[in-house]
Amino acid sequence: MIQVIGGLLLRAIVVLSGTALLTFALLWNAPGDPAQTIAMARFDALLTEDVIDQVREEVGLNRSFWQAFWAWLGPLLTLDLGYSAVTGRPVGPDLWAAISYTFPLAFAALGLGLAISIPLAVIATKRPGGWLDRFAVGIASLGNAIPSYWLGLILILIFAVKLAWLPALGAATPAHAILPALTLGLGVAASLTRIIRSGILEARGQSFLPAFRRRGVSDRAVGRDHIAPHAAIPVITVFGLELAFLLEGLVLVEVIFGRPGLGTFLVEAIMARDFAHVQAVVVLTALVFVTVNLIIDLIYRVIDPRIGESDA
Amino acid sequence: MRSVLILVTVFVLLAGLGPMLAPYDPTAINIPKRLSGPSAEFLLGTDAMGRDVLSRLLHGARWSLGLAFLISVISLVIGTTIGLVAALGGRLADWVMMRATDTFLAFPELVAAIVIAGLMGAGTWSLIFALSVTGWMRYARVARGIGLSVQSRGYVVQAQLADMPGWSIARWHYLPSLIPSLTVVWTGMFARAILGISALGFLGFGVQPPNPEWGSMLLDARVHLRSTPLQMVWPGLAVVICVLAINLTGDALRDALAERDRHE
Repeated sequence: MIQVIGGLLLRAIVVLSGTALLTFALLWNAPGDPAQTIAMARFDALLTEDVIDQVREEVGLNRSFWQAFWAWLGPLLTLDLGYSAVTGRPVGPDLWAAISYTFPLAFAALGLGLAISIPLAVIATKRPGGWLDRFAVGIASLGNAIPSYWLGLILILIFAVKLAWLPALGAATPAHAILPALTLGLGVAASLTRIIRSGILEARGQSFLPAFRRRGVSDRAVGRDHIAPHAAIPVITVFGLELAFLLEGLVLVEVIFGRPGLGTFLVEAIMARDFAHVQAVVVLTALVFVTVNLIIDLIYRVIDPRIGESDA
Repeated sequence: MRSVLILVTVFVLLAGLGPMLAPYDPTAINIPKRLSGPSAEFLLGTDAMGRDVLSRLLHGARWSLGLAFLISVISLVIGTTIGLVAALGGRLADWVMMRATDTFLAFPELVAAIVIAGLMGAGTWSLIFALSVTGWMRYARVARGIGLSVQSRGYVVQAQLADMPGWSIARWHYLPSLIPSLTVVWTGMFARAILGISALGFLGFGVQPPNPEWGSMLLDARVHLRSTPLQMVWPGLAVVICVLAINLTGDALRDALAERDRHE
């Protein structure tokens, strides 16, 4: 077990270093003069070569690629994210402020997705192939095809503009989170419904279930103790994909609803060429993603020990 | 397979003939008639510059579907090559290729595409690059798996012993196994590419105005949500219909392949 964990950890480290290097290379080679962009963002005026050169010197853009890479990576390993060249403030606090808007939204969306998809899948599998089942699968397929940004705009149109029930823009009150959470949650529900549904159907086909029934174990107990854990396995496996879906959705949904979260932070940083901010978001995302996948891998091995060394 | 061919034909016709059916020039500006609702003259109304929305939608099919096709094929070629090199190139090549695949998978694809396209500067070429370079990993995994399983089959070993040329082995033994599974992956990636193009367009990092692309049309329409809400509905609906058609076709193909495997 320790060897397996060690192997997975090593893999995670290789992947994270690769991501850090790729991101840095991408930023370093991005077209346009970053020093000029930074200077313009800071001083907001016509600039002389002199000022731009000073900025270049100060931000360290005149170093070689590897020098600059190590200068960034070293402090990063001690969790120091450095200073933003555009705002002049340290990156850490601004990043945390953004995360504090994103995390509750992500959890609300995930909870909402589960709260919709589990009952829907259970109802659908009562009579597989029946009209309820086909209806649920159809709704889920439709939901998978709807882009989150469009759904968000439609919800704004209906609930904020036409009915005026809910606020749409900003993040001033908890009510502001309802529409974005609904937008993301419906998307999560659409993709989870099909997975839970096929998980339940597969678990029901297990050969040991009739034996329990003959021994007089109630349907409810069989469902709770045997079908549910089996159906949970595929859900855990796709959790990594779900997280990716959620993060992709978050970027667009936050921009649409004007929430100052991580997605908005990233898009604004890209537009302002704020290297430190972009790097921070990218490394953080990769870290969360790799960690979650590592945990999923471990849980999966505990639940189903058949997956082992052959799966290199 | 037949359903995929039908779908591709319909899309080619839509992208090819759609613009011919458009009643107006999609970039013709007509300020006096701006933001008008649906009428006999402009069936779906006009946008903020007075351009005909129907014409833009029809021309947009060429941008959205054409680019998505291009991107999904480029990533198919990259991914299949990497997957086969990993499967057939020995242990070191396998390790390097699969860790590279893991690294690219260690990031939500669309977020990576947004970062890449945004930093490269908005435009069609950065869009193609960003979505292709973040879209090859699934092909690589599938191609590697198939490559490994075909490699150990008796008929491949025999063909090698009989000095069958490499390209011939590839053509007659690898290709027939690769095509069905890669087509299933391709349908999924084609749909993702359509969503990705419109997402980048919507953020302003994709196809630039005045070109009619569905995502950037949505971006334009968003500002006029209150006055002409219907304008926001059309481009999104176009994306949904195309993605739904592709996904359903992909599902049908996957089920048919699973059925065939069960009979074998």
